[in-house]
Amino acid sequence: MSKEDYPEDILNSLEDYNIDIRDFLPGHGGGAKLLLDFNRIKGIEQYEGIILRGKEIPNGIVADVIIKEGTKIDEPVHLCFGVNKETGVQEIFPRIIAEDNTDVKVQAHCSFPNANGLIHKMYGHFYIGKNCNFTYTETHYHGENSGALVAPVGYMYVGENSIFENVFNLTKGTPGKVKIMLDIYAMENSVIRSNVKAFGKNKNDSVRIRDAIYLEGQNASSVLKMKAAAKDGGEVLMYGITEGNAPYCNGHVECSEIVLGKGSICRARPFIRATDPTSSVSHEASLGRFPQKWLDEIMAKGLTEEEATEILIEAMLGEE
Amino acid sequence: MLLEVKNLTIPTFDQKCVIVNDVSFDVREGSIHAIIGPNGSGKSTLAYSIMGLSNYKPFQGKIYFDGIDITDMSITERSKMGITLAWQEPARIEGLSVKKYVSLGIKDKSNLGEKVTEALEIVNLPSKKYVNRYIDNSLSGGERKRIELAAVVAMKPRLIILDEPDSGLDVIITEDFMNIFNKIKKLNMTILLITHREEIGMVADYGTLIWHGDVLITDLFPYVMLRYCKKAGLKEFCKRTLYKEGKPCFPEDYIDRIFNEEEPFE
Ligand SMILES: Nc1ncnc2c1ncn2[C@@H]1O[C@H](COP(=O)(O)OP(=O)(O)OP(=O)(O)O)[C@@H](O)[C@H]1O
Ligand SMILES: [Mg+2]
Repeated sequence: MSKEDYPEDILNSLEDYNIDIRDFLPGHGGGAKLLLDFNRIKGIEQYEGIILRGKEIPNGIVADVIIKEGTKIDEPVHLCFGVNKETGVQEIFPRIIAEDNTDVKVQAHCSFPNANGLIHKMYGHFYIGKNCNFTYTETHYHGENSGALVAPVGYMYVGENSIFENVFNLTKGTPGKVKIMLDIYAMENSVIRSNVKAFGKNKNDSVRIRDAIYLEGQNASSVLKMKAAAKDGGEVLMYGITEGNAPYCNGHVECSEIVLGKGSICRARPFIRATDPTSSVSHEASLGRFPQKWLDEIMAKGLTEEEATEILIEAMLGEE
Repeated sequence: MLLEVKNLTIPTFDQKCVIVNDVSFDVREGSIHAIIGPNGSGKSTLAYSIMGLSNYKPFQGKIYFDGIDITDMSITERSKMGITLAWQEPARIEGLSVKKYVSLGIKDKSNLGEKVTEALEIVNLPSKKYVNRYIDNSLSGGERKRIELAAVVAMKPRLIILDEPDSGLDVIITEDFMNIFNKIKKLNMTILLITHREEIGMVADYGTLIWHGDVLITDLFPYVMLRYCKKAGLKEFCKRTLYKEGKPCFPEDYIDRIFNEEEPFE
């Protein structure tokens, strides 16, 4: 697929994340790929060990990603959900199955650079088998007009002895109205790491994220980190939920949110529950401004308080 | 004088009592000046006040840097003039890379990579191994403190305040630390060194002894140490440890005499 076949403004839109979508077009770079232009499947590239299927439906698509047993691939599977229109409805139904003993990464890029009333909804189902190492990264860009309404819902089942890493980034541009709900079920000996980052930048930005991890298998463990900043009237609300429902499982929830400027609101609700006496679940939350000592340490290197805050936000919300 | 502290009195944050009481001393440009004193005597408080931290505003007194009154200046203004501080327990910050951190205070950002490498090498950390790591909990205590030192040295400041750079480090590291100090000294930076370890203090040219918030003496470092030992009743320790370049600083009978005299310095 040539670069002219895909809207220029979507191709460039993840620059601030240091991602160039051109590198992920079918025919460019390795790995399996599925590319949408609004509700049309624009390109698809298969890769050994992976089955990719897309079906167009009236307001969107159903996408199936099946990773066959034993498949281990370095190049990520790339899903691009791009819309360069201002308005419209895009509904995505991804069904992702990683069979046993697989090691893959899936990267989804959700880019709506001109959104102004655009609605994007996603209903994702993930099934991760046994002994897998699965990473799912979702990077969002909703333009600069706070004009998107984005509501993804995900159910994720993580099988025995598997490692599941979930990464969600919405730190560049203006989010608009965002409501995310994620349920992750962790089976025996599985390890879950979930990292969520969001930045609300004005009074039209409202981000609500509810990320829940249920530790259902013995020895399952999880770390859920939610980091957010809100400035100039933006609002971010994060619910970090972890339940320890099995023997010797171990979960931790961490919410850190920074509030800048009048009218901005950050709220964090870590919600933890233990129903097994041998389980252990903990949480920590910090809201407001950065610790004075952090600011002092940076200011002692010749920076102003504003510059120091900017550096700390970048560190908090940047790529790791 | 590079730094002049005049009659400085620093209250607690709640203004209820005084931590540092009417303290005065001078620091010469190009010297290593040690501040010693027991736990809780006010050393860190003094350091924070010289740096200009908002919770450590003096209640009275003046601080001059290179002849300029900086008493009312902010921490940013002071650091821009060339004063900086390496904290006793530097913060761990997730997502902030060593490279970014060390480069914070470098004004001319050209050849940044090389400058960061240089700074890390001064503190004996191999750059390749560290530049892409983060100043988070994954660093050991010693590594974090060295990176702090690298970050302040990279600024090329005129005055570095080091608050117990040796705390939490292995005794075996001492040798390594001396080597780092000597490298820093060659860069024409003045060091205000807060320490508990007399062997580290021995790199200092001058010293100030602070005792429950009061300055008891400012002098050549061995004399300050002698006074400290006397105050603490440590005659044998004094004879054993007050050595410079392999030679005892004072003849034993001199130490005996000092210890027998009644408050010889007051
Ligand atoms: N709000 C307060 N109320 C009462 N005392 C206080 C308050 N804040 C600090 N102090 C006291 O001030 C003293 C000076 O502390 P400082 O940290 O400067 O000592 P230090 O010499 O650096 O000690 P160390 O060698 O242990 O690092 C301490 O005894 C401390 O308990
Ligand atoms: Mg101290």
